Amino acid sequence: MSALHRSKRFVIGLAALAGIVGASCYAAPEPKDAAPTGPGPAPLRRLSNTEYLNALHDTFPALAPVLPILPADALVAGFENAAEAQEPSDVRIARYEAIANLYAEGATQDTAAVVALTGCADITTAGTQSACASTFIDTMGARLFRRPVSAAEHDRFTLRFQAFQAAVDFEGAVRLTLSAMLQSPQFLYRPEAVPRDRANGAVVAVEAYAMASRLSFFLWESVPDQTLLDAAAKNELSTVAQIRDQATRMLADDRARRVFWSFHRQWLGLDRILGDEHGVRTPEVDPSWSTATQASVSKESQLFVENVLMGGGSFRDLLLSRRAFLDTEMARLYGVPLPTDAAPWSEVALPETERAGLLTRASFLAALSHRGATSPPIRGNSLQLRVLCKVPMSPPANADLSQPMAAPGSGPQTNRVLFETRTASSTCQTCHVNLNGFGFGFESYDAAAHFQRMDNGIAVDATGAIHGTDVNAKFDGAVDLSERLSKSTDVHQCATSQWVRYAFGRETTDAEAKLVTDLSKSFFTSGGDVRALLADIVTAPSFRLRRVEEN
Amino acid sequence: MRRRQLLKALGLGALASVLPRGRIARADEVAFPSRIVFFVTPHGHIPKGWNIDIPGASANAYAERSLVEMSEANFSEGLRPFYAYRDRMLAIEGLSHTSVLADIAEIGRTTGDANNHSVSVAGLLTGSRALQRSGSPCSGGIRSIDQEIAARTSAPGRFGSRVYGFDYVPNQTVAPFSFLGAGQATPSVADPQTAFADLMGFVKPSTTGPLSREQTIATLRPSVLDTAAREYELLAPQLGAEGKRKLDAHRALVRDLELGLGTGLTAKCDPSFDANGHQVVQFMRLIKLAFSCDLTRVATFVCPVPETTELGYPADATMHGTYAHGSIENATACGAPYTLTAERAMIDLDKWHAAHLMELLNGLDSILEGSGTVLDHTVVVWLTELGTPTHQHHDAPVVMIGGCNGAFQTGRYVRYPRNLPNPMKGFPLTGPAHNRLHVSLLKAMGQPDTRFGMANATAADGTTLSFQGPLRELHKAV
Repeated sequence: MSALHRSKRFVIGLAALAGIVGASCYAAPEPKDAAPTGPGPAPLRRLSNTEYLNALHDTFPALAPVLPILPADALVAGFENAAEAQEPSDVRIARYEAIANLYAEGATQDTAAVVALTGCADITTAGTQSACASTFIDTMGARLFRRPVSAAEHDRFTLRFQAFQAAVDFEGAVRLTLSAMLQSPQFLYRPEAVPRDRANGAVVAVEAYAMASRLSFFLWESVPDQTLLDAAAKNELSTVAQIRDQATRMLADDRARRVFWSFHRQWLGLDRILGDEHGVRTPEVDPSWSTATQASVSKESQLFVENVLMGGGSFRDLLLSRRAFLDTEMARLYGVPLPTDAAPWSEVALPETERAGLLTRASFLAALSHRGATSPPIRGNSLQLRVLCKVPMSPPANADLSQPMAAPGSGPQTNRVLFETRTASSTCQTCHVNLNGFGFGFESYDAAAHFQRMDNGIAVDATGAIHGTDVNAKFDGAVDLSERLSKSTDVHQCATSQWVRYAFGRETTDAEAKLVTDLSKSFFTSGGDVRALLADIVTAPSFRLRRVEEN
Repeated sequence: MRRRQLLKALGLGALASVLPRGRIARADEVAFPSRIVFFVTPHGHIPKGWNIDIPGASANAYAERSLVEMSEANFSEGLRPFYAYRDRMLAIEGLSHTSVLADIAEIGRTTGDANNHSVSVAGLLTGSRALQRSGSPCSGGIRSIDQEIAARTSAPGRFGSRVYGFDYVPNQTVAPFSFLGAGQATPSVADPQTAFADLMGFVKPSTTGPLSREQTIATLRPSVLDTAAREYELLAPQLGAEGKRKLDAHRALVRDLELGLGTGLTAKCDPSFDANGHQVVQFMRLIKLAFSCDLTRVATFVCPVPETTELGYPADATMHGTYAHGSIENATACGAPYTLTAERAMIDLDKWHAAHLMELLNGLDSILEGSGTVLDHTVVVWLTELGTPTHQHHDAPVVMIGGCNGAFQTGRYVRYPRNLPNPMKGFPLTGPAHNRLHVSLLKAMGQPDTRFGMANATAADGTTLSFQGPLRELHKAV
């Protein structure tokens, strides 16, 4: 059975055709093949689009060329870095070529730029140019390939450099050689050297430079810095203590904000609001909503996640903190006054009783709404799928997915009552007892995430019920729900499993199940200390060790 | 002189517009390559606004009607926009997305995402079981028909295909339709300017006299690609099997680009582009440009669902949420009530799509090629995600326009009987599986395949349904 088919799958919607009463709403994990103990597979990973663009930015910080759009990374369970889905395409290769040429052109735009790029003080004579070419290939190659250039690589690129120089000139050769390096697999992929004298399948330590890349692409979503490469050169990335020290250093670096945002953006869909379907809200919901609002909504979440975690905050703070960074548009949405002299994206505290962390912010609430109305089942479904890692079944084929409307003559009703009526049958309740249980708790926020006490002229009822977790209880409103979920071991287990998946670029194996459980216990005990969790992940055997693979 | 122009010169213009087309090129005529366009639209057609009656024919047997002899008024509302092309048109009623039905039935026996939209999107161009990944919408399980044809018709200096268009987002799932392989959506370009730049990337700058430094550097692009490709060749053998496969695939594409740049543009075409007007129209122009320059022979375009206001409907409505499910009397979906407004809205949507498709047809028919036009050597296939907007898969009308070098007997409305059992228990009888249309399209593109996607499936009553062989009726001689 292939790895793909070993994965858990949705339980289906078709069951409804035969009557699903009594059926589980969640996919039962399929029995996996007996996996070998030790580290799971280490598939070849391509740089995700985010990693690729960060790597270019960090290597050429002075350049900011206008780039063509890369084809989107294929999503697996919401994540953009799944190795199994990183197939090349003609469009991607064309974009890599165009982008390599743009950076190579920018980095060599004049003699001063070439001098700066190569670090060669003198490039005026044939002799100095030859020496400079050799240095350039070694230094630029080491930065882009994240390890010393091999002698064979040095010779190959030198031959090409000389041919390019003969066809154009020295500076042109720098430009063309750089472009070739930027399109080479040593840059675009993360091949890991393995000892040639070990048998296929043998477990070995991840090679030092590969370890530097593993750390930097996970914790910074970019290339290693010189400190990491120096540590690799001295073989100081092998013990748990050495790796933990590096991780601690890296997580204190500003580049760590990238992983904090990227992970939560992908896990919780915090950029989903940017989709075209959210460009509009009906006038009744929000006459001022515009495409600028979409961007502000996503930015607000980004600043929240980055500042909370960079400031030493925890996963629980992400669920509970009232800190917010608002521009005037977000202040309007949240009904919060900004100081008149406030700079854009000023920090304010949100009203204690109205909002808490991410589950009460617009990037979650509005992105899971229709343009004219909220959908409690969609909000409830997303919470279960993302925050509790419960893969739900599809709606039955004959489910009515349209917006429920009050029957003529029945008088005004709340959205909640309309959905209660729509999903009242025992068949619907099989799943909707959970979906509505969570979803109704968000009814204090309309489709544009405004806080509302009245819906359709009737007082909002935002009571709900948590089912299927270790913190099952009735609750009142999303702030209460957030507080309860922040105390859930299930929620911490889910977050941990997603972090591990993100770190490895693949699903975990059966043999790694205990690792995830142990990590999540520590994560819960630490009060949701994200930094500690990431340090635990990078020092785990699956991150430090790999198998020898022959083809 | 084009045949049509010749006839017009002879005073036979009226006849010229109705001559059955699509004959094989005369023996003394240069053969022109066959091209194919997949024009894919979300939802489906409204039978009431699309079907054409075949007087006197039994619904239980295959039947057809000549479109050439029909008056414009007798055309159905949905097909009327194509009246001018009725001689080069095949309208096909009664095909079924049976592989999708079989997949949904199979998901019912196992697990997976069975959302009607997701499975349709995964199955329309693949005719195969969808790939299921935990926590993700399902996606195509094999290389889709457009990419299969692309892989076989690509050549140095010519893209295998161009895939353009927009993500269709019902229930916030992404729907690409075209797949390079299992779970691998073919990258689609949604910005016409980028798409134009891609096409022109293959066009060599015209130069006279010595090259400037920048031009010299530009001529070395293939050499840079060769440098990179060599690195893939050397690194791949050092990796495990899956890593090697990935790098080999990457290297092959780098080589393709290298060869493409080295070949340059040879066709006598006009590489200009009018970037005005509706984005859909711009893409129709780009497909025309790509075909006229022979930069590709396969194009796939996924049409967006327009905002309701574009069709004159209220801003707070959506085509999907407000209208689609209630658009067919006695066959609504998701419990939505049938309304005349919903029915009208979906017919108007059909006409909106047709009007944009006409831009492509007119464009292709304006390029002379031999004694005909590029449209005479092309087949434009309009496929819909679902059979109707009400989530059914068993009755999916298809429009094909273009001569395609005589591969099809055009000028007809063709109706298949629905007399095959359905893979889903309690669901209506179906016509032939759309997999067989894909076989017919492969045949039209000169490919000998006898099957595409699923070879067969099991009906709910245990009958084995064969999906093999082309739809002979489309090809048969008069």
